[in-house]
Amino acid sequence: MNELKTENLSCKRGENAVLNNVNFSIKSGETLVVKGRNGSGKTTLLRILSNFITSYEGKVMFNGISISEDSLYNSKFNLIGQKNSLKENLSIKKNFDLWDILFNEALDHVKLLKHNNLYHLINRDVGSLSDGQKKCISLHRLNYKKYELWFLDEPFVYLDEVNTHLLIEKINQFNENMGIVILTSNINLPKNFHKEINI
Amino acid sequence: MYIKIKNKHIELIKSANPYLIFATIFAFVIGLYYSLFQSPPDYIQGDSMRIMYIHVPSAWFALMTYSILAGSCVLWFITRNPLFNVVARSIAQVGMVFTLMSLITGSIWGKPTWGVWWVWDARLTSMLILFFLYIAYIFLWQAISNKELASKISAALAIIGFINIPIIKFSVDWWNTLHQPASISKLSAPSIDVSMLIPLFIMTGACFLFLVTVSLIRFRLVLIENKMLRTSSL
Amino acid sequence: MPNLIKRDLLLSFYSSANFFFTVSFFILVLILIPFAFGTQTDQLKNLFKGVVWIALALSIIITVDRIYNTDYEDGNLDIIMQKNKTIEYLIISKYITHWFIYCLPLLVILPVLSFLFYLDYLETVQIFINLFIGSFGMVFIANFVSALTLGARRTIFLKAIIMIPLFVPFIIFGSDAGSWPILLALSMLSFVISIYVTAYGLRLYGE
Repeated sequence: MNELKTENLSCKRGENAVLNNVNFSIKSGETLVVKGRNGSGKTTLLRILSNFITSYEGKVMFNGISISEDSLYNSKFNLIGQKNSLKENLSIKKNFDLWDILFNEALDHVKLLKHNNLYHLINRDVGSLSDGQKKCISLHRLNYKKYELWFLDEPFVYLDEVNTHLLIEKINQFNENMGIVILTSNINLPKNFHKEINI
Repeated sequence: MYIKIKNKHIELIKSANPYLIFATIFAFVIGLYYSLFQSPPDYIQGDSMRIMYIHVPSAWFALMTYSILAGSCVLWFITRNPLFNVVARSIAQVGMVFTLMSLITGSIWGKPTWGVWWVWDARLTSMLILFFLYIAYIFLWQAISNKELASKISAALAIIGFINIPIIKFSVDWWNTLHQPASISKLSAPSIDVSMLIPLFIMTGACFLFLVTVSLIRFRLVLIENKMLRTSSL
Repeated sequence: MPNLIKRDLLLSFYSSANFFFTVSFFILVLILIPFAFGTQTDQLKNLFKGVVWIALALSIIITVDRIYNTDYEDGNLDIIMQKNKTIEYLIISKYITHWFIYCLPLLVILPVLSFLFYLDYLETVQIFINLFIGSFGMVFIANFVSALTLGARRTIFLKAIIMIPLFVPFIIFGSDAGSWPILLALSMLSFVISIYVTAYGLRLYGE
């Protein structure tokens, strides 16, 4: 049973306070939806949770240990940022090869792409795809298995209805396998997600 | 962490500006009068050496300004007081002007003295590199859109440049040396006449006033700019 | 760390054009010598010893965007930094791959070129040793400049203005045959500075 928890988390970017006393606690099998206006610090929150920003006030604890002191924490989360992490001048297949090495895990990409109806694109250069297709390919990283936490920054942007449902299904499935999901989004999601905070 | 400078300090700097500008102009007029009319011509170089009165102070201040710049960047990293960053950013442009000035006047002086506009020796070359270090510092700050990040990054670059300058001086020295030995650095036994020292010191004072005046104007602008960045981000 | 090296090598293999472009660029800069200065044998020899350093410096300058900038812009740098908790390992891997991909080919092609410019065996060896040691120092410098300028996009000229003054000592000592110990010292100094500054830059941009 894992638990990710923040206590009085505040963060300043320059002279501006971006996050002010953010408190939440989330356990295995739950999903937290972070809402807020543009520039309210949703991305900052995810970057704090993934140990990129280390200058903040308050506490972020994973299973009772501060995340900056837990040496194994970095290998437990999978962060999907707003950038796609794809090389535009390479084909999807080559991009997947590069990811496999970085993530140190070989996936059966053909099967997974067939499931998403993207298999016919596998030899196309990423630069020639539409934004929605790029986003789908980018979210393909969620198939890497060894992670206990998912941090998704605006995952639904550019996605059509079918793919939005597929992603929600995937998140639910991850929750059933006791995974924790934190995602930022401004669209109204179905009520089956567990928790919601406004910052 | 905020800059502990209130509006009244900024107003004080603003009200001092006209006096400083006047004092600078006055000092330059006096200094130029002394250096052009009240000092004897050099008995070897003749009247051409009079350009020394502007060349030497600007070279000194080019180096001194860069030392202050790098020093305040170091102090900023140590103390985290943003005032040091404002100081560094306010004097950079003046330093660049001094460097350019010393390069141009040096060239003009070099033509009658050595017969060429430029000599590839350690001092001239490192001065030229110093000019590009100023340019790199100023333009790197402008190129990065996140201004807080830009200040940190360009401060790091300024410190690296400070390490680089002696290395370049050493390497070019090792390569070849054509320049006359430094004659003003040892003030206890000056090898130039007192009648020449008086205008040199007045001109140095005038350059110093110029540095202070322009830096203070820039200082005020940078403070206002920082304030605008702070309020405009939401 | 081995994963990152493997990944960078695979990336450069996939976009192999990059690698051929640098080698071709290096050769073409040197080919300009006889066009610009004529074909007198003795003169060519001396010019080659100096211009080879300029060609190396320019080749490294045009590759500086490939070290961290492309990965930063498409978001891969986040993954890389997450997987390599000890940032120094990450930086050293990048040194190794950058040198391996962009400097080693130039060193391999160097003996052929020095043959074209009538250098004898001993001179070739001397220049090879100097370039070998000096290229490491220049790679260290290019790495930290790349890390510092991540936020300044499409500014290759600015990067060149920052880097060339830092290359000056290498070029001064490099064209002198016996000065490899000084080059070694310079390379070591730039390694020490570079590893701190690169880590500083990467952490700042990670935020």
